[in-house]
Amino acid sequence: MPDLLNARLKNLIVQTLRLKDVKPEEILDHEPLFGASRFDLDSIDALELVLRLEKEFGIKIGSSEESRQALATVATLADFIRGRPPGRGT
Amino acid sequence: MSPTVDSLPTGIEACDCLTPFGDATATTGALLAGRRALQMQPVLGAAGGDLVPLALCGSMDETVPPRWLPDLRRLVERIPGDRWGTARRPLIVTSSNFGVGSLYAFTRDRDPRHLRHGPPFACVEMLQREFGWGEQVHVISHACVSAHLGLVQAARLLHAGLADRVLVVTFDFVSPFVAGGFHSLKILNASLPAPYAVRATGSIGLGDGAAFAVLTRATTPLRLEAHALHNEMHHFTGNRPDGAGFDACAAAIAGTARGRRVWVKGHGTGTLEAGRLEAEAYARHLPGAPLVSWKGSLGHTLGSCGLVELALALAGLRAGRLPGTVGGAVPCCTGSVALEAFARDGYDGAILTSNAFGGAHAAMLLAHD
Repeated sequence: MPDLLNARLKNLIVQTLRLKDVKPEEILDHEPLFGASRFDLDSIDALELVLRLEKEFGIKIGSSEESRQALATVATLADFIRGRPPGRGT
Repeated sequence: MSPTVDSLPTGIEACDCLTPFGDATATTGALLAGRRALQMQPVLGAAGGDLVPLALCGSMDETVPPRWLPDLRRLVERIPGDRWGTARRPLIVTSSNFGVGSLYAFTRDRDPRHLRHGPPFACVEMLQREFGWGEQVHVISHACVSAHLGLVQAARLLHAGLADRVLVVTFDFVSPFVAGGFHSLKILNASLPAPYAVRATGSIGLGDGAAFAVLTRATTPLRLEAHALHNEMHHFTGNRPDGAGFDACAAAIAGTARGRRVWVKGHGTGTLEAGRLEAEAYARHLPGAPLVSWKGSLGHTLGSCGLVELALALAGLRAGRLPGTVGGAVPCCTGSVALEAFARDGYDGAILTSNAFGGAHAAMLLAHD
């Protein structure tokens, strides 16, 4: 059974970054989102994604390093969100 | 693309700056004492927000006239000579912010008086009226290498015979708009900056800063000998991970310093990767040269940092001691990082660097025999 949070995050990534050629269900849970990935995302995309995630989930990401770790894959992002009560950063 | 190297010696007739500590002498004294101007303050000023390290001359919230005008007036009063902005004595004004804080304030309170000095050229026109400057004004804005490019332009005007003296004035005062922008990038966060330190989280501080320099073709005891400019054409907010951008600029300016014993005042904002790449590049091309950054105390004065930190270097040379990396910590990313102040004796030159979003690298050789 698909993880609901992972599925929600995949939808949010595709919408926020306007990934026209990617369907949410095509993104694998452990697939790299940035760097050497097929999505060709950069730090400006990361910025947009972080702002959307903060608004959507009421979390705070405290530093660029924390952002990089959290956004590594959909799975790391889901773990990060589960581990953060709303409004709490590092 | 190779770096541009300009070997255009220019004398420094006068140079001073303004920071929350005061003028260049007072600021250098504070740095030598290891003091930090940065304090944890709300990122959006009166509107609140997370606490982040800011070094401000007063409240960050914009006023009418601009909150920074009295400070700038005090700095301008120290500029020697007159008739700036005339044919043989042109003026170069640089900033990365100009009056953007006023434009932001307008969006909050809708007071149309903010608009008079918000846009860059309206801001410069206000300064021309305020300080009696003439029409020969060059305006340069290129993110955080703005002031450095102003110094390069001044050297080129002098050596082209288009000017007898050039005044470069730079100013950047932090606004909630700019602090909020860096905060959203997560590099302005809840930590104080520790330039060149190896640690888990990088962070910068932002600071108010303004400075001026009067440059001539005459040979002065303290002079700018050469400049290297480079753009690595990689990404707007990131450097090439292999450090090739830093390496190219470091190699170019090191080539102009052959035969000199130099120290290096780096850009060193407190971000992890850029700090490491810069430190490694200068350790490679100038082995044994101590590397310092002063942004751990003063924060990043953005487009003005190149000239603010030149004024501080000159004040340190006059005092006989150069401040170390205030706010730095061990372990450092290279053995060249100097955390403590050191004597100028034994050195006859300094490399001063600035970097900017967009992949811009700038470095200058300051000769001080």
